[in-house]
Amino acid sequence: MREKTLQLVISFSSTAHAMAVEKYCLEHDLPGRLIPVPKEVTAGCGLAWKAALSEKEILLEAFEKENITYDGVYEVLLR
Amino acid sequence: MIKVNAMGDACPIPVVKTKEAIKSLNGAGEVETMVDNEIAVQNLTKMANQKGYGVKSEKISNTEFKVTMTIGEGQAEEAKNDTTEAECIVPNNGKKNRVVVITSSKMGEGDEQLGTNLMKAFIYALGQQDELPNTILLYNGGAHVSCEGSLSLEDLKSMEAQGVEILTCGTCLNFYGIADKLAVGGVTNMYDIVEKMENADLIIRP
Repeated sequence: MREKTLQLVISFSSTAHAMAVEKYCLEHDLPGRLIPVPKEVTAGCGLAWKAALSEKEILLEAFEKENITYDGVYEVLLR
Repeated sequence: MIKVNAMGDACPIPVVKTKEAIKSLNGAGEVETMVDNEIAVQNLTKMANQKGYGVKSEKISNTEFKVTMTIGEGQAEEAKNDTTEAECIVPNNGKKNRVVVITSSKMGEGDEQLGTNLMKAFIYALGQQDELPNTILLYNGGAHVSCEGSLSLEDLKSMEAQGVEILTCGTCLNFYGIADKLAVGGVTNMYDIVEKMENADLIIRP
């Protein structure tokens, strides 16, 4: 249960933007959740969207359609 | 009755020796294990409770404890095929007793929406740590965090499944009219809250 698995992490340019993305994703039943940006991604502070690796395409397509910009897409070992 | 001497043995040896003795009973009977510390008593008691054996312990002196288990016929049969490993649940094995108090659904002062997101992020990150806290207490506005509709439920449930005690203030649930919405952990009162805080080595308040 405490094992880490590779998961999808999408980072954004600002906290406010990440919060807006969360709102959009929740309203549109998109998979994933908001988490603090993992230290592996950046030492800085911020919020990121986390989802399963298999949900990468659904999310990125939805973001593109809605013109939601993002900073980076990462695969990170998380619990 | 089989007597087991586990004086001076570190966990899991007392549990292992006792399990071996139970196997060699070849039927219903009693096993009496002597240990020299209270943590061994707790580990033996826990094992007995898990298996459904009768168990009683007696403190003979500060360094001498007697744990007596009563094993039924069917249980003795089960014990023969038991391959589970002896568990060492050692409370406070040099680890600090950490209590996290969630006093609001928001973290910090300032923007409300940011505060809500920060609290969510805090609880997520708490669950990601190598060592989880012993207890999470939720009171006043924090009571909302353990109730239906909270986006932290998944994280709290996962921590609870890993042994973290999660307790929400009953007075608060009642005040906000959300007592029927509690979705994780148990309900507690002010006496427990005071006790948990007094016994904590470290109180973490985001």
